[in-house]
Amino acid sequence: MSAVVSPIRDPLIEGGKTYGQITEDICSPTERVPSLAWTVAFIIAVLGLGLYVFTVVWTIFYGIGSWNLNRTIGWGWDITNFVWWIGIGHAGTLISAILLLFRQKWRTGVNRAAEAMTIFAVVCAGQFPLIHMGRLWLGFFIFPYPNTRGPLWVNFNSPLLWDVFAISTYFTVSLLFWYTGLVPDFATLRDRSKGIRRKLYNTVSFGWTGAAKHWQRFESLSLVLAGLSTPLVLSVHTIVSFDFATSVIPGWHTTIFPPYFVAGAIFSGFAMVLTLMLITRKVLKLEQYITLAHIESMNKVILVTGTIVGVAYLTELFIAWYSGYLYEQYAFYNRVLGPYWWSYVGMMACNVLSPQIFWVKKFRRSITITFVMSIFVNIGMWFERFVIIATTLARDYIPSSWSYYTPTWVEIGIFIGTLGLFFTLYLIFTRVAPVVAVAEVKSILKTAGDQYVGPNAKHQHETETAKTASH
Amino acid sequence: MNQFKFAASHKAVTYGMMGLGVLCLLITFLIDDELHTRFWSNYLHNTVFFTGVAFISLFIMSAFITAWAGWYVTMKRVWEAYALFLIPGLALMLVLIIGLWGGFHHLYHWADAEAVATDKILQHKSAFLNKGWYTFGTLIIMGVWIFFAMKLRQLSLDEDQYGTTEYKYHHKMRIWAAAFLPLGGFTSAALVWQWVMSVDAHWYSTLYAWYTGASWFVSAMALTILTVIFLKFMGYLEAITEEHLHDMGKYLFAFSIFWTYLWFSQYMLIWYANVGEETVYFQTRQREYPVLFYGNLIINFLVPFFVLMRNDTKRKYGTLVFVSAVVLIGHWLDFFQMIKPGVLHTAHEVMAHGHDHAHGEEAHHAFMMGFHFPGLLEIGTMIGFLGLFIYFVFSRLEKASFEPKNDPYLAESLQHHV
Repeated sequence: MSAVVSPIRDPLIEGGKTYGQITEDICSPTERVPSLAWTVAFIIAVLGLGLYVFTVVWTIFYGIGSWNLNRTIGWGWDITNFVWWIGIGHAGTLISAILLLFRQKWRTGVNRAAEAMTIFAVVCAGQFPLIHMGRLWLGFFIFPYPNTRGPLWVNFNSPLLWDVFAISTYFTVSLLFWYTGLVPDFATLRDRSKGIRRKLYNTVSFGWTGAAKHWQRFESLSLVLAGLSTPLVLSVHTIVSFDFATSVIPGWHTTIFPPYFVAGAIFSGFAMVLTLMLITRKVLKLEQYITLAHIESMNKVILVTGTIVGVAYLTELFIAWYSGYLYEQYAFYNRVLGPYWWSYVGMMACNVLSPQIFWVKKFRRSITITFVMSIFVNIGMWFERFVIIATTLARDYIPSSWSYYTPTWVEIGIFIGTLGLFFTLYLIFTRVAPVVAVAEVKSILKTAGDQYVGPNAKHQHETETAKTASH
Repeated sequence: MNQFKFAASHKAVTYGMMGLGVLCLLITFLIDDELHTRFWSNYLHNTVFFTGVAFISLFIMSAFITAWAGWYVTMKRVWEAYALFLIPGLALMLVLIIGLWGGFHHLYHWADAEAVATDKILQHKSAFLNKGWYTFGTLIIMGVWIFFAMKLRQLSLDEDQYGTTEYKYHHKMRIWAAAFLPLGGFTSAALVWQWVMSVDAHWYSTLYAWYTGASWFVSAMALTILTVIFLKFMGYLEAITEEHLHDMGKYLFAFSIFWTYLWFSQYMLIWYANVGEETVYFQTRQREYPVLFYGNLIINFLVPFFVLMRNDTKRKYGTLVFVSAVVLIGHWLDFFQMIKPGVLHTAHEVMAHGHDHAHGEEAHHAFMMGFHFPGLLEIGTMIGFLGLFIYFVFSRLEKASFEPKNDPYLAESLQHHV
């Protein structure tokens, strides 16, 4: 990392922090009694988790018939939620792997929470392929293994099976990556604690001592994992897009799907990171580590990916017309002007139009606007998957089998329930681990702390004066 | 040395290259079929390839400015000069436009009024695939690109001259660069559909424009590495070290993989769904152009992947020059295989018109130099265009110092260490 920093870069750590203060600020929230806000949030989240368990049990007990799927519409909220969650689970790995390769220092402020969020989102996503089978106890059928059912094997030609491999690989690597980063931080927590807490953190930090050899191994492992995760960022949502694009259903079968799904996934992932980080930084008082500069950078990513998604939407519309293929044209006519027009409008408004306000610097640096926008994008990306799945299936080749779909309370309950599952996991995480990567933030202090760079940097002014004096 | 001097001997070499190009085009024209299919398709191929390199250089530069990249500014003059090649690019495109209106070439099936009259699909597409759109789309869109290229160049030169520590010019560049990104993204797709995809007028793919963009990106990066290393050998660009080359090597590596990813996405989805209207594109290439089809993947994926995977190969001149040269030719071949089969098919149809045998089987399968594989004439033509590109770029390089002395990131770039 270059020690010379351009004078126009913003500092990324504010408040003239020392290394000791960084440790104290980030570690202390895990050592205090939880605040009232946390407790209330946790109760609500656990209630949501309860709803999840209840609706899933209901589904298993009464069967998939308790959902409103029908012969025409075989995928509804289940797969919409699955794709939505798996998309959200893309930001963490993008931040930790790809931004690492691009040497973006602002990633250090948000990578820990984003990776945690990734893992929890993938956990939520992973529920749906199982639940939507209806017979949960046969879930192990998705794995290819020598079996006693004769020739009954999973279909290796099916993207649904590739999903199983892609997502479990992604989950494993993301988890390892996250945990690797946590090891030195767990050791820091250990060194600050006593008794059973100390024993626990000593175990989870594998007896880390901070020896040079430890750091060397840590760095090489991080590099290997970053190398492995980079293609994974692309591969997972590519294969999810294959679930649709390998078919011959108009509106699903289009070659732009893989990169466009990946862009959309990063888009929604960043939106969720923003939603969580804006609350976390406020509640845990981490405004000096997750600064407006961080938020502005993330809003730029939102603007870029939102616009890429917009280019893809318009490309699809144009090529549908250009193709001269009647069914393709009708599929898109139906999307925009059919009975589900409202979901298309919701998608366009939330994903393409509204992020355009981030062209204005003032809005990119406004916490309120960013928070509202992050919710908008979350909604918009849910609509996108609903548009792709439900509206396409509702009207296929044979008009006599056209149908309309509204979810039952069970389906809605499962979706809200996964939010409960997600927030339960996230809230526990904020209690047991530092939400900002302590060791990584320290590594950029000298090149991004506001006492070293930016308008208040005394060191830089000194060197500049020294330079002028020597002339 | 920060001030480039275009040596007379080098100038002479580029003149020689251009002369060879003109000679090859002339020979191609004379030995060609009645429609001059080989001549015109070679012209289109090289024009699109080098214009695309110029466009994507402008796009990369805009993206880097927007992303606050610091490491590259010691070599930004190279990309500024590349981007300005859009001006001769437009002039080259004008020849194609004149040819379109004058009926001198039959590159595009949709431009043939007789064919459109009996073809329902082409009639449907004629609202987009017509001479008016082709002409004004090219003129207006390329005009806008040129405007941005010149604007960024001017701001960059002004910064050298009048720049202060308030970095007023840099802030202006950020605005123009950010505005260009969505604009360039949208408009390049429209032009690629017109220029290249419409060669196979019936066929369509939503990914096409992104795929060609990735191909241009790798070509531009390869050409940049070659230029930078050449300039270093001439004693210029001392500020660029193996650290910068390492980063460029990483870009070459990463985007070669990204190109392969897009290639695979497009091919796999079409192959898997097996819809006749779509598979015909790849079937033609796989059956009748197997060398190009498989060679494309070997040259543009396997070579950069295996050579550049190691750390040290991205830091050595030898391996970098080797891979850059290979993928530059590889992506030139990629455009060759995008353009030639469609053009040849259209030519067969036009020539067979009025004859009893609509299009004879043997005409499709017989090997034709310059279509199924580039011959010496194609290579000569490519060298000619490359000569023009180098001549133009080096003349621009002469007009400004290599060191952007008032750039806010200059110190970072000078100290760059990976």
